[in-house]
Amino acid sequence: METISRRKFILLTSAAGAFLAIGYVPDASGKEKLISGLTSDPSKVDLNQFIAIGTDGSIVLFNHRPEMGQGTYQSIPMILAEELEVSMDKVEIRPSAANQGLYGNQMVVGSRSIQTEFEKLRKMGAAAREMLRQAAANKWKISIDECRATNGTVVNKSGNVFAYGELVEEAGKITPSDNPPLKKRSEFTIIGTSVARKDIPLKTNGEAKFGIDITVPGMLFASIERSPVFLGKVMAFNKDEVLKMQGVRFVFQTSREVYSQKREGIAVLADNYWYALRARKALKIQWDTQGLENISGETILADSYEGAKGDGDELFGKGDVKSIFKDAKNIIEAAYETPYQAHVPMEPMNAIVSVTDKEATFWGSTQNPNGIRSFLAKIYNLSEEQVKINYTFMGGGFGRRSMTDVVEEAADLSKKSGVPVKVIWTREDDQTQGPFRACSLNVCRAVIDDKGKVTALEHKVIAQEIQNQTGPNMKAGRMLMGGINTDFQIPNLSVRGILKKRHIPISYWRGVYHSTNPFAHECFIDELAHQAGKDPLQFRLDMLDHPRYRRVLESVAQKTNWHATKKKGIGRGIAAVERSGAYFAMVVEVEQRGNKIVPTRITTAIDLGICINPDTVRAQVEGSIVMGLGAVYAGLTVKQGAIVEQNFHTYPLLKINQCPEIITYILDSDAPPDGAGEAGLPTVAPALANAIFDLTGKRVRKLPMNMEM
Amino acid sequence: MSKILLHVNGQAREIDIDPQMPLLWAIRDFIGLTGTKFGCGISQCGACILHLDGVPARSCAIPSSSAVGKKIVTIEGLSENNDHAVQLAWIAEQVPQCGYCQSGQIMSAAALLKKNPNPSDGDIDAAMGSVLCRCGTYPRIKRAIKQASKM
Repeated sequence: METISRRKFILLTSAAGAFLAIGYVPDASGKEKLISGLTSDPSKVDLNQFIAIGTDGSIVLFNHRPEMGQGTYQSIPMILAEELEVSMDKVEIRPSAANQGLYGNQMVVGSRSIQTEFEKLRKMGAAAREMLRQAAANKWKISIDECRATNGTVVNKSGNVFAYGELVEEAGKITPSDNPPLKKRSEFTIIGTSVARKDIPLKTNGEAKFGIDITVPGMLFASIERSPVFLGKVMAFNKDEVLKMQGVRFVFQTSREVYSQKREGIAVLADNYWYALRARKALKIQWDTQGLENISGETILADSYEGAKGDGDELFGKGDVKSIFKDAKNIIEAAYETPYQAHVPMEPMNAIVSVTDKEATFWGSTQNPNGIRSFLAKIYNLSEEQVKINYTFMGGGFGRRSMTDVVEEAADLSKKSGVPVKVIWTREDDQTQGPFRACSLNVCRAVIDDKGKVTALEHKVIAQEIQNQTGPNMKAGRMLMGGINTDFQIPNLSVRGILKKRHIPISYWRGVYHSTNPFAHECFIDELAHQAGKDPLQFRLDMLDHPRYRRVLESVAQKTNWHATKKKGIGRGIAAVERSGAYFAMVVEVEQRGNKIVPTRITTAIDLGICINPDTVRAQVEGSIVMGLGAVYAGLTVKQGAIVEQNFHTYPLLKINQCPEIITYILDSDAPPDGAGEAGLPTVAPALANAIFDLTGKRVRKLPMNMEM
Repeated sequence: MSKILLHVNGQAREIDIDPQMPLLWAIRDFIGLTGTKFGCGISQCGACILHLDGVPARSCAIPSSSAVGKKIVTIEGLSENNDHAVQLAWIAEQVPQCGYCQSGQIMSAAALLKKNPNPSDGDIDAAMGSVLCRCGTYPRIKRAIKQASKM
């Protein structure tokens, strides 16, 4: 880890001393220490300042997490501003440099940014505020206790006022505290309010730049044809013919690695993207598909059902499920199937990389700037200082942009051509090459006693595992059980994983295993409630003493009048899940319209601890529901070793006319903040399936669902 | 290659391209306006929507040659100061998340309101039905169009 000493700041102070910069660095022991100093230029972000205050009164807050729509572009600076005592309309937000040594992990995955950064950011803001108060106290020659920070100023009881800008030089002499006093929640004026997002006006007039919008002088554009059958090897291709086409400069064989497996392709490099794409379509490539073309959705499913006969590995266990099953007269059993899904960010995958002997530079949209930096350093034998990362807004991520595979292609082509190269994937590449959300089979079995209580439940997950896709190790890891509620007070409870390895690459997709397992688990609980002759809400509450589960279930029930007499022609289903620390319960209402079942309203109650920006959280829940519903209606299928659905006409996203009314209640809480970015997605499929049962008496156990019934 | 003249956002721009090149790439890579987006390449998603003589058009599937002599307006040319009623409503309703599809959404909504100043839910569904958003901003798009219709 890199350490910046205070001395370095003081050296910079001599230049002009115009800005107070505040940040933190890990010290030798790895413990983070606050630092401050004066610098001549707030854009020198390598100094790691989170906050830069100019003598002219300007305040810059640096956002160290890339923005893909999740809204931390606004909520991270809001946390800083809260403790700093400045209003959001007085600050400028700038993205920070990509530098793990200085900022810690900057990767945006798993709804973690607010969860992991909240305390750190508060301290950063509070330390700066305390320095400014102390600076005012020094100037007025009074105690700091008589100095109050408010709205970008420090005031005293005599009515004197210093704007922060006037205090900068004095504050620069003060050593920041590692443990500054933090505001009480009752004192918050920014956190918990829906402050309009500063990135939004940039996204209404074409001004926001995404990776695909970046141009680098001298760059060539590349389009790459890859084997439709995963892992196909290049045998031969018509290089000379394609090289002669208009605008084409180079044709290279290239590859990218996805979870330890090399995937080959032929790249066409041209003066502009369309020439590259047109020439790519003229490629004739002979692939060695190694027998993998015999794999289809049917063979995969049959293999999964075969796997379900085995015991696999226990991921969670209490009591003795086996002995209960042995003595049981009636075992209730159900199997649930989910398909592969593509991430489909609206901005197709792309990357620009320039590689020379002495440095590598990346431009583009990524969830993982630090990962790209160390990846390029490693493969080209460079130091991290020799790798420059320029990250932009992302046109969606959903997990796909946490990977470095597209960067690898662009880097390889830059190295081979000697110029910067921009690789742009087509939509067809995105949908057919993956990596994908894993398909899964879930098999659930349970026994209910004569009082209607569940005495034993076993849930088997049969699926590929993201971190164990190749090699001989067939032991299932705990990741596979994501989203299975083990808080249910069932005396004998067992979750087992049966690991599968397949030639189709998988990766993190919004919600990860929480996007599949709860469809089985929360539907099965509903089936058991019906078997026990109990209301599905009450059945859950009877098995839950977890206060946050109970709270979201009871809240959503109250908001939807769950206990009122059932309305004719309307089906209602309920489900509750925890993801990234946030608890949420959802009620889906459905109606029959003609020969179709239509979800009309989706109500969610969410407890995610302290909520930074309620409107952003509501937007995330809306987005998760739309994505979850899309994954109920569409899925990818496998034929002859390849993905069938090429583009939106066969793999449709949810459309505006399919979007039900969405109502979200954020429950008040004093608990530390949890993640909002995936909340709502895991509950859509089970709550909808349960609503369909309520209306029609038919159980849906397979995704995508056929809504015509 | 041949020189073609395009009228974009009130300016005449001569570019030297294969006239078969889709208008999307001519505008992005040769005219340098990147607000119009590539999403699918087969006119299924609407990220590339701009106005051709006032009518919404999917520029990824239109050869540049067929835009010659027509008035092209992209998101950059919708208003001078980000203050078209649709843009103001989009900001007020906090519509965008990642923002990538929003140029197409906004251009599509602006064309709808020009033709139909007071659209019903059904009108909105019909006009916006195949402009895709992966972030799921649809409920806000609907609200913003209604708000813009009152401005």
